[in-house]
Amino acid sequence: MSDVILTPSPVSTIAAKDMRDALRDRFILIVTAFLGLAATVALVTGAIALRGDVATYEAAKATLLAIGKSADTIKAPEFYPLRLLRGAIEQIEIIGAAIAILLGYRSAASERGRQTLALIFTRPMRRWQFVAGKALAGLGLLAGGLALVLGGLTLVLHLMSGIDLTVDDLLRITVVWGVAVTYTACFFPLSFILTLHMKQPSHALLIAFAVWLLLVLIAPQIGDTLDPDNQVAGGVFKQLNISKPDQVQIMKGFATYETLRDGIEQASVTKHFERFTFAVLGIKATYAGMPLGPILTEMLGNLVWIFLTALGLGALALALPINPDRLAKA
Amino acid sequence: MALATSPAWQIARQSARFALREKTVALLAALFVALVLISAWLGWRATATVDSIYADAAAFLQKSGQPVPQNPVLDISPLSLMRNMSVYVALIGALSAIVIGNRLVGLDRKAGVLPLIGIRPLTRSTYAKGKIVALGGLILLLALISGIIAVVTFLLLPAVVPNAAQWVQLAGFMGVSALYMAIFGLVGLGTGAAARSETVGLLVPVTLWLTLTFIFPQLTANLNPTAAINPISALAPLPDTPFFHAAGQVLGPLSLADAYKFASASLLDYLPQGIVSPSFIPPIAELVLATLLAGAFAWSALTRLSMAQGDYNV
Repeated sequence: MSDVILTPSPVSTIAAKDMRDALRDRFILIVTAFLGLAATVALVTGAIALRGDVATYEAAKATLLAIGKSADTIKAPEFYPLRLLRGAIEQIEIIGAAIAILLGYRSAASERGRQTLALIFTRPMRRWQFVAGKALAGLGLLAGGLALVLGGLTLVLHLMSGIDLTVDDLLRITVVWGVAVTYTACFFPLSFILTLHMKQPSHALLIAFAVWLLLVLIAPQIGDTLDPDNQVAGGVFKQLNISKPDQVQIMKGFATYETLRDGIEQASVTKHFERFTFAVLGIKATYAGMPLGPILTEMLGNLVWIFLTALGLGALALALPINPDRLAKA
Repeated sequence: MALATSPAWQIARQSARFALREKTVALLAALFVALVLISAWLGWRATATVDSIYADAAAFLQKSGQPVPQNPVLDISPLSLMRNMSVYVALIGALSAIVIGNRLVGLDRKAGVLPLIGIRPLTRSTYAKGKIVALGGLILLLALISGIIAVVTFLLLPAVVPNAAQWVQLAGFMGVSALYMAIFGLVGLGTGAAARSETVGLLVPVTLWLTLTFIFPQLTANLNPTAAINPISALAPLPDTPFFHAAGQVLGPLSLADAYKFASASLLDYLPQGIVSPSFIPPIAELVLATLLAGAFAWSALTRLSMAQGDYNV
């Protein structure tokens, strides 16, 4: 009996079966393709806009040189290829999280819909093994889907930027992939728990989406909206012609306001994902050109937050008792 | 009296009552109302902070002998305090409308009452009319609650007094918000009736909403998703390249989130000068057209619904 309990086979059997099911009905392929499309659109439009900026700069530079003036008065557009991934990362943080919710929902709802939960538990396995198998499948599908999306984006980035990506660039994209899998994995147990334990699975899906709205879109948006620089078109400091060091000085008088704004943002795991990935990819200007090591050290807090959220929800899914008699098709 | 006893009205009343009894509908509607309240506070708080920053910046500029520009807050209309409401309508308002639309027909299908309704002396067009009226009523209720919150906020803030024209603009914004929610509600109603599975009936309109909110603004104006849901950042100038001009021409009329964003910014007086919608169709006309199309889709799906079975396959 102890062999049966300790053997990992029920976990891998359930995981393999769930992955086969998800691939067979092409659901995961369709939603991954949707994410891939959204992320590629973001990358390509970003690259086109940058080319437009470069063309405008070149034209302005040529005009200045033609009339005998120095071109130093106009700022050249900065080009860091990984920065073009900004829109794609934002699509992953929004649509990737939604896909994880759908995977969690389907993973639990499929057993309830087919009335197979009670049958599964007649087999010699522990209930945590059932949950672990489901979670492993979800994690595998997310990891595979995100690898496809980020791999495709890397290829498009290489082709569109016209320059070779370095090993350091590829390493940064790999780090982002790992953290993106962990970030989206936070949403899988959320909808899985709700769908497995609520009376109506469809209600569980809607509640999971309400949480998604709050965490992914509304909390970061509130923080962003309260940013004084976002209140005036072009930015309040730009309109007042205040230089960066003076901005910092003035904002010291608004420490409480900024703490509140930051606190609302910090409550969202999405904001931690965004801060981490924007730093690693150099999207945030202060991290552009900075080596990966110091960035990872500085961003450790965000990383810990993301991992603890995923682990906490995963542990909750494993710990909650499952009552198959109550969980028939609703 | 005749209206109150007509079969379409009875279907509408019963459907609206049942949908409101649904916990998820109530939860989403409550969340929407709470966020509308928060949006009123956010608008006031953020504007007050910019005003304080200006006071500090003006003192700093004076001390360093630099010219002091005009306070940007003075250029802001009182109506723009409600600018965040447009974001919450576009996010949770639209999602609530999808759920309401889906539940209005989904409840009947799941309960298996369609054959019972089918044997009553009423046509499928009466059933469709009842459902669309119920959806319209519930969405108007949401818009009305938002409107009351906006009005109360203005009445409670004595420093912010809109003039008569601005009250009309506020009413117009509520109307446009109701239209935007109705588009998604009607699509939710249509897919709820047409889909063979309950999940697909919900996922199709949600995917449409995701596409319109986060992908189209990227194509028409190179707006990243987080900028697309910020009322000010979303109104950036269009990139001056042939691609974006062409994308604006082709996709602009389909980009409903852009249309709602521009209609709201114009009605709430926060549309910066020189910023124009990527579409050649005026935003409000675009929303009206989209509502009519979504209505036609919902009508078509509801009038084709099989009253013999109707339950979902999965």
